[in-house]
Amino acid sequence: MIQLLKIELYKIFKRPRTYISFGIITAIVLVIQLAMLSDGKSFLGFVMSGVNEQFDIQGNVLNGYLVTYIILQSLLIHIPLLVALVAGDALAGEAAGGTLRLLLTKPISRAKLVLMKFTSSFIYTVLLIIWLAIVGLFGSLLLFGPGDMINLKSDAFVMLLQHDVMWRYMMAFLFATLAMTTIASLALLLSAFADNSIGPIVSTMGIVVVITILSNLELPLFDKIKPFLFTTHMIGWKGFFDDPVPYGAIGFSALVMFLYTVVFLAATIFYFNKKDIKS
Amino acid sequence: MRKLLGIWVVCMLVATSGIKAGEADKLFYALRTKVLTVKDYTADVRMKIDINRMKIPQLKGTLFFKSPNKMRLERHGGLSILPKKNINLTLSNLMPAGNVTVIDAGSAVIDGKKVRIIKVIPEDDMGQIILSKLWIDEANMLILKTETTSRNDGTIAMDLTFGKYASYALPDHVTITMDVKDYKLPKGITMDYNDTPPPPPKDPKEKKPKTQKGTIQINYLSYTINKGIPDAKFADKE
Amino acid sequence: MEPIIETRDLSKSFGSFKAVDNLSFTIGHGDVYGFLGQNGAGKSTTMRMMLGLIYPDSGNIYINGTEFNNSRRHLLSQIGAIIERPDMYGYLSGYENLKIFAALSDKNIKADRLHEVLEIVGLRGREKDKVKAYSQGMKQRLGIAIALVHKPALLILDEPTNGLDPQGIAEMRMLIQSLSRDHGKTILISSHLLYEIEQIATSMIIIHKGRKVVEGKVNTLLNPDDSLVEVMINPVEEITLKLASSAWYENIHAFEPNMITFKMNPKQIPQLNRWLVSEGIDVLEIRSKHSLEAYFLSLTNDSVIKN
Repeated sequence: MIQLLKIELYKIFKRPRTYISFGIITAIVLVIQLAMLSDGKSFLGFVMSGVNEQFDIQGNVLNGYLVTYIILQSLLIHIPLLVALVAGDALAGEAAGGTLRLLLTKPISRAKLVLMKFTSSFIYTVLLIIWLAIVGLFGSLLLFGPGDMINLKSDAFVMLLQHDVMWRYMMAFLFATLAMTTIASLALLLSAFADNSIGPIVSTMGIVVVITILSNLELPLFDKIKPFLFTTHMIGWKGFFDDPVPYGAIGFSALVMFLYTVVFLAATIFYFNKKDIKS
Repeated sequence: MRKLLGIWVVCMLVATSGIKAGEADKLFYALRTKVLTVKDYTADVRMKIDINRMKIPQLKGTLFFKSPNKMRLERHGGLSILPKKNINLTLSNLMPAGNVTVIDAGSAVIDGKKVRIIKVIPEDDMGQIILSKLWIDEANMLILKTETTSRNDGTIAMDLTFGKYASYALPDHVTITMDVKDYKLPKGITMDYNDTPPPPPKDPKEKKPKTQKGTIQINYLSYTINKGIPDAKFADKE
Repeated sequence: MEPIIETRDLSKSFGSFKAVDNLSFTIGHGDVYGFLGQNGAGKSTTMRMMLGLIYPDSGNIYINGTEFNNSRRHLLSQIGAIIERPDMYGYLSGYENLKIFAALSDKNIKADRLHEVLEIVGLRGREKDKVKAYSQGMKQRLGIAIALVHKPALLILDEPTNGLDPQGIAEMRMLIQSLSRDHGKTILISSHLLYEIEQIATSMIIIHKGRKVVEGKVNTLLNPDDSLVEVMINPVEEITLKLASSAWYENIHAFEPNMITFKMNPKQIPQLNRWLVSEGIDVLEIRSKHSLEAYFLSLTNDSVIKN
């Protein structure tokens, strides 16, 4: 098992493509940070115009914590794509490259291979999130300094004291890791069906986009299914920036995503075990 | 029209109170003099802002005040947040300045203390304040409660509790209740999806009116009084 | 001694297409077993079933007497295989690829062994190059190195000469012969070219449309007496009479006015030629091929099989 995992990780991290994701994250984060450095005040003035009419807020509003929130807000829509790039390629890429048949003529069980593909995708996801934390959170703190964080929700204004923010980010990153792991398991499932990697990557994103739209459509028709869509729960990390933190709702979201992950993984193992390798 | 209405209200109040205006006048001016002896102060405060749809934790900081109307909360690197009002939320600012008409409005009991109620109407009808109602502990010459109706900011009420700074008429604890207009958070750029999964359950009966009451509670831990504060302290800083 | 591989009534369909149809054959220890069939005959499907890549609809595969599905992992550790193209991780070096697949083999394989197999397949000195820079021949060699590294008793090689230039084909042939002769491997090798199998295999099977056509020892199946000699002539009127009265009549396989096909040993061609000339018959061309080859070519031309 460990040997197989080591090999999977070796393959992932020996491949130049893997680092593109880290590069993309760095680039997007830097772009947002630079934009905020040069024009953050007017952006903030625009966003907070409603609040500023009534309240006099002084101090370093545009601090590292707020910038990180803006970064996460924009990036956590894109990270599923980066996760899908690796997880969607995990089995389909091997099939397309012709290495899957060579791999499966070795004395390893298919279930173990799927599990290790999942585990290696998970580790990749964790590293991606850690990297996001480093460049996003610590980079922004370095550039903008710490401070009390203002979280503007569509229905409330939440202010969090500086000393009360870091743990929320840690929990948010942990939650984001779970959300991205669900995406990874979906991409892996689609990867098992396909013999080329573009299909599962595009399908994963397609599914995420479509379900996200369903999650956000405010139609009574969708209200009943919304709680069962994993995209509804993917943004549960934001709950950690509420006061009080809605642990019950976050826990439910985490449970839903965990169940989705288990179901996707089990379906992958079930299907892949029965699949004829014709590639 | 508003002025006529004000005069009519005053006439009615005077007619119904039956108490001599002269005593109330004296009381008010004496109190105002006492309050105005504090030219400036710096106070360590704990502030709790409780306004609908605003979740703000208790803020620790230093409150700077300079007579007549400068106020600033400084939070040692943290954010300071205060409602933006045309009048500052200080006792001296909530008492009308200049010549006033004072009406005795009877007495009441607050926390077991008998208090005199007076109503103060500024003669300057261009000022922000239209009417102030004060609950006065005559024995200690302290204002325990105010209710100020302003031109633009609705009614601002203040409940005060005094302790060791009573001689300066500086409270240990103040609860300010005021009208807060509904404010808009622009959807789409509020860094939030419209449907965060764990929305805290809302009271379905809670139908938001245009204007709501908000409260600010300030605990004054210590004061440094009349040591002089430069005006620069109150300049807008980022 | 029980066969190293035995298949019994192996069948596999993909939708309505029957890829393998009740296929049974046996391979003995030490054999180089040729698996012959045109493209799409079912060779790769059968080999994939032997490696657990494709699941048979019915039938069984026994390796060393053990049913494959009952002991898949254990049996796979005794097999080395190349299926179709030897695709590897192009972004890794040859050595890294070899190391990865060696590590998956259930055996503790030391670096010495990696170098040893690289030596056997003639890749020493190029092992640090990225595989994407390898020629097709080098990839095939690396594929064989991967198949060999864990010292399997059985090698399954699916069209290992595909895509190679003539020199590459010759080298691959020598390598396979050496693996059998010097390393004692049993080799199942597939091809769609008879002459390739003819040169290296000891036994062979021909399959067509998933069914066995013929199976046996190569030297029996390719007996020279079964060669077909085609003689092109200028049509002559009395030819039938002349032939009927000659000793060659017994060898006639097919007759057309301008071409007569004899079934005979090619060594007798000069004699035949002399007789034709002596009878005043103009010989335009004489071609010889083995009857099995002729038969196999007829399959390739999609003729109907007559059993």
